[in-house]
Amino acid sequence: MKKTIELPLFSSYEFNSNFYDELFNKNEEVRKIYKTLFKLFSEYSVTEFNSLNNRAKEAFFNNGITFQVYGSDDLQEKIFPFDLFPRIIDNTEWNKIETGVLQRSKALNHFLWDVYHDQKIIKQGIVPLDLISSSENFLSQMVNLDPPEGIYNHISGTDLIKHADGEYYVLEDNIRCPSGVSYVIGNRAAVKHALFGVFNKYNAQTVVDYGANLLEIIESVKPKGVDNPVCVIITPGVYNSAYYEHSFLAKQMGIDLVEGRDLFIQNDFVYKQTIYGPEKVDVIYRRIDDLFIDPLEFRKDSLLGVPGLFSAYKKGNVCLVNAPGTGVADDKAVYTYMPEIIKYYLNEEPILSNVHTYHCSRKNELSYVLDNIDKLVVKPVDESGGYGISIGNKLTKEEIEKVKETVKANPRKYIAQPIMALSTHPTYIEESGSFEPRHVDLRTFTLLGKDKDFVLKGGLSRVALRKGNLVVNSSQGGGSKDTWVLKK
Amino acid sequence: MLARVANNLFWMGRYIERSEHLARYLNVNYFSSLDAPNELSQSREFVLRSIMFMASNEVIGAEVNLKEEDVLFNIGLNIKEPYSIIYSFNSAHENARSSRDIISTELFESLNTINHKIKNYNAKSFVKNGLYDFTSMITKSTLELRSKMRGTLLHDELYAVIMLGIYLERALQVTRIINAKCSDAAVERLKYKDSPENGHLWATLLKCVATYDMMRRLYKKTPTKKTTLEFLILNPECPRSIKNCLNQMEKYINILSKHQVVKSNSAAFLIKKLNAEFKYKLIEDIEVDVEGFISGLIDKLVVIGETLGDNYFKITNYPVIKKSSTSKQNQ
Repeated sequence: MKKTIELPLFSSYEFNSNFYDELFNKNEEVRKIYKTLFKLFSEYSVTEFNSLNNRAKEAFFNNGITFQVYGSDDLQEKIFPFDLFPRIIDNTEWNKIETGVLQRSKALNHFLWDVYHDQKIIKQGIVPLDLISSSENFLSQMVNLDPPEGIYNHISGTDLIKHADGEYYVLEDNIRCPSGVSYVIGNRAAVKHALFGVFNKYNAQTVVDYGANLLEIIESVKPKGVDNPVCVIITPGVYNSAYYEHSFLAKQMGIDLVEGRDLFIQNDFVYKQTIYGPEKVDVIYRRIDDLFIDPLEFRKDSLLGVPGLFSAYKKGNVCLVNAPGTGVADDKAVYTYMPEIIKYYLNEEPILSNVHTYHCSRKNELSYVLDNIDKLVVKPVDESGGYGISIGNKLTKEEIEKVKETVKANPRKYIAQPIMALSTHPTYIEESGSFEPRHVDLRTFTLLGKDKDFVLKGGLSRVALRKGNLVVNSSQGGGSKDTWVLKK
Repeated sequence: MLARVANNLFWMGRYIERSEHLARYLNVNYFSSLDAPNELSQSREFVLRSIMFMASNEVIGAEVNLKEEDVLFNIGLNIKEPYSIIYSFNSAHENARSSRDIISTELFESLNTINHKIKNYNAKSFVKNGLYDFTSMITKSTLELRSKMRGTLLHDELYAVIMLGIYLERALQVTRIINAKCSDAAVERLKYKDSPENGHLWATLLKCVATYDMMRRLYKKTPTKKTTLEFLILNPECPRSIKNCLNQMEKYINILSKHQVVKSNSAAFLIKKLNAEFKYKLIEDIEVDVEGFISGLIDKLVVIGETLGDNYFKITNYPVIKKSSTSKQNQ
């Protein structure tokens, strides 16, 4: 199973036939689409590539594309790990992804409207009531409330993986505040600078139009009676780990990046405090979680939000992007009903497959899960960022018993899926001075607005940097890669 | 523009300007003392005291024995001292970071790169032999930043706010540097009552503000107290004189307040008033009481800074008001 390639930069590349390797086929030959790119990489010496890699990292650092961590005595700036070997997706493959993620986002939007209005899908027995009633993310305040233009999930981030069979599967939908798009654009800039000699040999779709499209989308959901909406982004502040992204998007769209203290509410209208006094705000792209947006309505101890904001939203005087309460639909238990949800609202077959999922809330499935924990990935339904996940084949006997106890104590909170064989992609490992295969997924970004939708032609390929690791989230030590979607 | 962001940018401008003056003062004073004409102005103690007075605004008692390495470290790289260069630049960076969506990528990149350089500067080599390199790096860096401001920002109210910060801080720093040097001169006078005026001291003052060459071109003679003060305070063509700072502040407050009526005691009013006072001022008016003039000027500049904050940068904690209740809020 092991073979070492004769090139300096690939000297530690180990093949593993259990996974789909995106660079090499089963016969260990470079796939056609990567041939030109591979030729370039095969010409670098380790020293040359190291210096290229260091320059790219330095550019991220100097541009402040960083996050902060608490060091021993002060705040330290870190860059998100980034890999220079881009991932390439051909046009046909991409078309399926694009139509598939758009279909899911639209279906989820219909589902949210229904859940917060007539609940027909529940009444007709297609999804069980307890899926909604027991969800911590269901906001009773949203019941019978009509968001502007009927849009809930203006921005969706869909996570996909490529399985050993070479097909894409949806791992999860993120429709609260999906992040990462700034890195898609940052990674592209870095790769263009470093690999300019080869970039122009590939006809890759641009990713820089995201900001312009996002602005069009959020302007399209302006409140009634407003002609030229004033839009803002609200951030928890400079110490938030996604602050770079918030400021980047504000700059791309040319709109203000506000904090809670910059806004106030009067007569159920929202105002920002400018150098010339208050100015009305119509649309807020919020990067603050539901429960923190308004201390009068949700968590009273929130200092990040704006007192009275929800009341202004209820009156239809301001639009919140995404709508509060969307979390009920990106719950991992709802995920398992996605095929039914798509059929019910759109009368279409799902374009992208789900990973088979076992509900621990169902008795017979629970007993299967408890008997097979070593073969399954067990996930809490309402956590994001890769927290609380256990991967069966990595656990010791004691750990398996522990997971069993946790799941038994609160079965509704957990689902399980077969351990998926995420595809691998060449990733530079500094310690070995060589590319090595590492598992990757793909986050896509979909926008829904009034009479307009948009899927970013590209995405964030997230890499699990530790050998054999399947969890790619940045909060779990993951890195990322540029992703090229080729034109026809 | 958001009031909070304007405040950040105003202070970014002030801190960048402050870093530059601190760095040059440290550099020029230290190195010019090496070839000073008399024993006093050559003495380490005297120079260190002068540097501490300018930077921290505090007079250090004769009983305190200043250690050169401590003074240099505190003013250069001690992040815990609010008067240090590193503290000042770090504050400029923090202010820029919380408004980075509104300033250009080019400006932020420079600020960020310089901030990394300062943070990682080796303190040991700085106090031993890096004083010249470090302070020169700071003055060069601030020039780079000003050029990025001029070349990569829209010259609208955002730019006006930054420039108001820069010129207000420049006026204050130049005034304080004049003050520090006049106080050095007074100490010297006490010791050497009958000696002729120390031209070296006034040349140092001019160099501290990077105006020595300009002054020589204009006056063609060794600088005296009178010509130096006249040049630094009243010459509108000298880009670092107080008069020039006031002219610039008036230019930028006009941009900021162009749609507003100038009310008495507003920042616009106070800037124009002070500038008008300077219009017909002569060095002879100042000479009679330099100390009084300087402390009066500092007070007025401080009030202008506070009033700018009050007029443009204030964030009010508004209570939530419903339609049913009466509203007194101006919109």
